[in-house]
Amino acid sequence: MNEMTQLERFRAEVPQPGPARVRRHEERLLAAIARDAGGAPERGRRTPRLRLLGLAAGLAAAVTAGVVVVARPGAEAPQIIHPMPVAASEVLERAAEHASRAPELHPEPGQFLVFESRTMNPSYGTDRYLYRTWRKVWLPVRGDATGGVIDGENLPPEPFPGWPVPAEAYEGVGRRSGPEKLADFDDRVEYLRSDYDYVSRLPTEPQKMYEHLYTELGNGPRDDAEAWNRVRGLLTEAYLPRAQRVALFRAAAAIPGVTTVRHAVDAAGRTGIAAARTDPVAGRRDEFIFDPKTYLYLGERSVVTDAAKAEAPVGTVLTSSAQLSVSVADHAPAVKGD
Amino acid sequence: MSEESRAEADDASCIERSRRDPEVFAEVFHRHASDITRYVTRRLGEDAADDVVAETFLAAFRQRHGYDLSHPSARPWLYGIATNLMRRHVRTEVRQLRLVERTGVDPVTASFTDRSDERLSAEASRRRLAGALASLPKGHRDALLLFTWAGLSYAEISEALGVRLGTVQSRINRARNRLREELGGINPLATVSEETVCE
Repeated sequence: MNEMTQLERFRAEVPQPGPARVRRHEERLLAAIARDAGGAPERGRRTPRLRLLGLAAGLAAAVTAGVVVVARPGAEAPQIIHPMPVAASEVLERAAEHASRAPELHPEPGQFLVFESRTMNPSYGTDRYLYRTWRKVWLPVRGDATGGVIDGENLPPEPFPGWPVPAEAYEGVGRRSGPEKLADFDDRVEYLRSDYDYVSRLPTEPQKMYEHLYTELGNGPRDDAEAWNRVRGLLTEAYLPRAQRVALFRAAAAIPGVTTVRHAVDAAGRTGIAAARTDPVAGRRDEFIFDPKTYLYLGERSVVTDAAKAEAPVGTVLTSSAQLSVSVADHAPAVKGD
Repeated sequence: MSEESRAEADDASCIERSRRDPEVFAEVFHRHASDITRYVTRRLGEDAADDVVAETFLAAFRQRHGYDLSHPSARPWLYGIATNLMRRHVRTEVRQLRLVERTGVDPVTASFTDRSDERLSAEASRRRLAGALASLPKGHRDALLLFTWAGLSYAEISEALGVRLGTVQSRINRARNRLREELGGINPLATVSEETVCE
């Protein structure tokens, strides 16, 4: 028996994958396809759902950044040191200082955090337009997004610059879609989790929080953009205990490239002051908007800074959200049958 | 054109259509997912393979605009992406092979095998083979296993790994010699000449 025959027999008992396993892989692909196809919530009924607000952009970034973001502990990633630069954002520093003035929520395991928000996102299907939604999400205090519930409705769409709004964009406008299951799967790596149980265990020192934001990342421009993106994941439909929230604001303030935008309008039309960071690769500025008096988090928006890369005129707001309320509930509503 | 190659000739057109209609990309998955899953599982075990396979098709989907449509079969492209993603699991792969070498226990096949005594006769050479695989430079192991386990031709391996055809030939030759040396104690230098006629 020569070496090639032996090699052919080695581990030959590993079978072709069963249908359930193939289906799991397929679901992740179909979810990505659905997002790419426009991802408007009312369409693509048969594709599995993962509708986490803070995650949509994050997942896309994770795929772009490829190996870096999805790397698992135990892989041969070299140890990268992330010394935290001096914080340079006045807005985030104020937000940290004001954190103690807001009433604190104390959700318990078994309860739900309830987020009500408005969103606007671009749809890049056959036709382009900006779809808008009102949504209310119940997220379990302990456990991943598959235990969550979503209710919502589509609001009238806005045009994408240079594109007429297609008739299909009006389908389902004004009709309640839920309550329904928020997600069929949630396979985020641990350090991207945003459930209360997990974020309560995050560090309360800014330097350690900074390191958390850079988990598995390097020190390049793409890494800084991804770290900023992870801040979004902890601000959007997520609630951190005060100590962690303060640490998050101070750590975010130290991410290189943070600037201040004096007047920024969220998806509900509220004007605030924003901590912003330009992502030169995507050609847009990502802003976290705070109330100019109380420094409570209002929402976020992305503004085009490079027309060629973003395929829209400079100054266009392509994505925005507004967090209308955060509360605690003992139960989530029963979901409608699929 | 055979039935199989006719089906594969459609990969490029599927990918081209998926640029306008992303859902068509699911067809590329249906054609190749099973084979790629088995290949990656055979190298890394089920857990790590699940990650790599899912990421492979996500990455392929994202990169579909960059696919060279003059290549009718997407197989080399997909195996190339999977090979890149497996890089971060090199330590796992080598550790498992070393475990087979030392103890005969193979974590990769443990969940698929119910009669562990079946291969006892081949036990010694199986352990030496695992040790030899573990000691190969990664690029050589990639080329060798794409050839024997994935069934790629030298030209396809060259496309998948982005290296010249001559490099593929020399990597596979050297890897085979190494294996032969470990398994049979045959002087590798004496057998080099026959290797160039593999294609």
